Amino acid sequence: MSGGGTRNVPEVVVETRNLTKVYRDFWGRQKVRALKALDLTIFRGEIFGLLGPNGSGKTTTMKLLLGLLFPTEGQALVFGKDATDVSKNERIGYLPEETYLYRFLTGEETLDFFGRLFNLPAAIRRQRTAELLELVGLTAARKRQVREYSKGMARRLGLAQALINDPELILLDEPTTGLDPIGTRAMKDLILRLRDQGKTIIMCSHLLADVQDVCDRIGILYQGELKELGRVDALLKMRDITEIRFSGGDGALVDEVKAAIERRNGKVHFIGNPTTTLEELFLQIIRESELHPGRRARGGVPSEQSALGL
Amino acid sequence: MVVENLLPPFQRWILLALPIWLGVILAVLVIGLFLGWLAGALERGPMAALQQVVRALRQGYEDFVLRLSFGRILGLAYLAVKECYRRKVVTVFVIFLILLMFAGWHIDPANREPAVLYLNFVLSTTTYLMLLLALFLASFSLPTDIRNRTIHAVITKPVRASEILSGRAVGFAVVGTVILLAMGVVSYLFVVLGLNHRHTIAPENLVPMGEGQTAEGTLTGLTTLNYGHRHRVYVDVGGEGRVEVSRGHYHRMRIVGSGENVRYEIGPPEGFLLARVPVYGKLEFRDRDGLDTDKGLNVGDEWTYRGFIQGASPAALIWTFEGLSPRRFPEGLLLEVTLGVFRTHKGNIEKGVLGSIAVRNPKTGLYVETEIFESKEFAEAAEIKQLFIPRKIVKPTSVQIIQRKRNTPEGIKLSPPDEKLYSALTQKEEFDLYEDLTDNGRTEIWIRCLEPGQYFGAAQPDLYIRARDGSFVLNLMKGCYGIWLVMLIVLAYGIAASTFLSAPVAMVATIGVLIGGLFRDFMIKLALGQTYGGGPFESAYRLVTQENVMSELEPGLGTLLLKMADVLARGFLFAVAAVLPPLGQFGWSDWVAHGFDIPWDHVLIRSIQTFAFALPALVVGYFLFKAREIAE
Repeated sequence: MSGGGTRNVPEVVVETRNLTKVYRDFWGRQKVRALKALDLTIFRGEIFGLLGPNGSGKTTTMKLLLGLLFPTEGQALVFGKDATDVSKNERIGYLPEETYLYRFLTGEETLDFFGRLFNLPAAIRRQRTAELLELVGLTAARKRQVREYSKGMARRLGLAQALINDPELILLDEPTTGLDPIGTRAMKDLILRLRDQGKTIIMCSHLLADVQDVCDRIGILYQGELKELGRVDALLKMRDITEIRFSGGDGALVDEVKAAIERRNGKVHFIGNPTTTLEELFLQIIRESELHPGRRARGGVPSEQSALGL
Repeated sequence: MVVENLLPPFQRWILLALPIWLGVILAVLVIGLFLGWLAGALERGPMAALQQVVRALRQGYEDFVLRLSFGRILGLAYLAVKECYRRKVVTVFVIFLILLMFAGWHIDPANREPAVLYLNFVLSTTTYLMLLLALFLASFSLPTDIRNRTIHAVITKPVRASEILSGRAVGFAVVGTVILLAMGVVSYLFVVLGLNHRHTIAPENLVPMGEGQTAEGTLTGLTTLNYGHRHRVYVDVGGEGRVEVSRGHYHRMRIVGSGENVRYEIGPPEGFLLARVPVYGKLEFRDRDGLDTDKGLNVGDEWTYRGFIQGASPAALIWTFEGLSPRRFPEGLLLEVTLGVFRTHKGNIEKGVLGSIAVRNPKTGLYVETEIFESKEFAEAAEIKQLFIPRKIVKPTSVQIIQRKRNTPEGIKLSPPDEKLYSALTQKEEFDLYEDLTDNGRTEIWIRCLEPGQYFGAAQPDLYIRARDGSFVLNLMKGCYGIWLVMLIVLAYGIAASTFLSAPVAMVATIGVLIGGLFRDFMIKLALGQTYGGGPFESAYRLVTQENVMSELEPGLGTLLLKMADVLARGFLFAVAAVLPPLGQFGWSDWVAHGFDIPWDHVLIRSIQTFAFALPALVVGYFLFKAREIAE
């Protein structure tokens, strides 16, 4: 954790105390208890992931932090201010789950408009707009109306608008939804880069791999209750299993290792070659295709079958 | 032109209106705070609700006064303008153009009042289109943003609810202004081109006038028939030509050449597009016994706009004018009169009913009758009767001293009193309007009906001094400004409604405000019990039972319950009417169409009224918007 510089005690950016949200119908009858007594503290400079199945309360938490919903009980504090206090938004960037932007504005106008809402001077708006469009790869499409954007482009523009004020706290609701693998990787890289710049990021996602890749800490919600909270590496560590990875050696070496483990009453779960992730494979293929534009896959036979000589 | 609500001068109006406005605002504030507290108390308990109310008030103050950012308002206004532009709101203007194109086929330029017809058409069309535009923009914009969730990206920026509402209002007002300006320019061109016509007259169509009719040698004739009318033309021996007024306008005439080569050129129409600046007096009535009264007779009309006086009796219509001076009206007083005529017998139906006009000095009682005139019922407004009272009145038709008599608790009071009567005043041959008939700038104009069994009726605005003519273009702009003010009110109420209602419901609610605003005066009369037939429940009962509105209901429990229900309904009606803008009084189309200059006092009063209604509506909208969960 970067801890915001020299202080030993990390600065608290977001704090919820007994945060509860009950949705009611028109007559005030309780429909659903979306969030139950959430106590959470998020520190400066960390990437915090909120995980949970649909309806677990992730988005409700996010909206409560943004002041889009009012808590039924408890309190949400952002930068020490009540979440309904508009002034906190000066330091916040928010990427909604779906990119809800004004479809009649162009990409450039969109960023300019949101820049105006922060009272940024015109020169700074122009500069930030150009930088962010470049950052999200939309410079060429800056004059096109958002209605003409693909879902991925709109998502990237959504991210750009969330960064227009160079925020200290960024809330990302399903940030990789709608992005292709390249865009997903770029988004994750960007999130890590923002963290390295000292920004605090809260994201919620269904895509566990994305959360695992970027988050420092996660909270797992289920039916409105916080079921798990901690550092990702600590939570994922399987303390009763040891993994050995090596290269070189031959089959005999593997057998020796296996025998040594069994001699000491250990149990071998798996011995084999590790696989990369599909994302890594895809990105590697794209990179190679860009390096060798003419190369094509051999037709018809899957590579595994081919290796087996079928 | 009928002017049912002639406003008092601004200084007097503001002293009357300001306390009422403050009272209504205070009442709305107290009710709003109580309801807010009640809603909070049911959910979180009374003390927490109290804190919530105090916090909301403090936030409201901060959001409207301390932290309002004009930069952000302009940003949001810019968004609203872009939205209108990209969503092709300019279509409204195209519809207007199409309507004008087709209107050209249907508006009859041969009408007796073509200018009124043309101007009424363009101003009414502009009003309806602008109101529809404002209604749709205001009602749909915010709910659409909330439904599409585009508002989420805005509300998570440091934008205050006050800025969101103000930005929208400013943006839509800018769009409305641009479209209204375009409509105003096109309207002007449409009217001018639509009314433009020429007549010709050939020299052989001019013949000498009959003997004794006018100066010897004068030629007269009729022009060609164009736009359904002709003008009589006079050419005197000096070679000066004059075209007589017809259908509310005249033409200038130029004579080119002489002898056999003479040619008469008649120019474009003039006098169609006027902006008369009237000076109104205060109307009082004198009954047939010669006693002053505040009201005239009712001759059976349900519409009690005009009061009537009986003919061939001491009854008179008396207008008192103030501030008259030789500097202001050096030549005399040009009066324009529109009188209602009511006959109890046919009389000479070919002719109008005879009346007289006189000037009276309120101090001395000197009464000088200057003219006998005819007045016809169903007189066309375009033929407003012009009567001129010259500075020097020579050979008056009647001169006398008349005392005004008023019934007071102490008995009949005479003015001037008997001891101040100077009958010698009547002995003069010639009277000076200011020296003999005016007292400190004050004089009285008397109109009397001279025929027995016939009646004259008038309302205060029916007689005025035509002080001068203002600029028609400026008056048209004032008329458009009136439409703009109504548009602002609709925008404010529409935006306020759209903060807590869905788009269609917000639109219906705003239409409700519009209709309520048009009938606000009636609602207040109903609430104050100034209408016939009782309150809403009693009237409904009378409708169902076909009971006469004048007869008393049978005493009993049912009647008692009806009356009690009416007390509650009247209170409710009064409360609703208090927050409704008096839109029925905002229309200035009639002023422009009938050629009356809209007084600057009216412009100022209506402007203040607009902001007095629009701003609180936006503030109420702000609190409703703050109270709702945007992401719900």
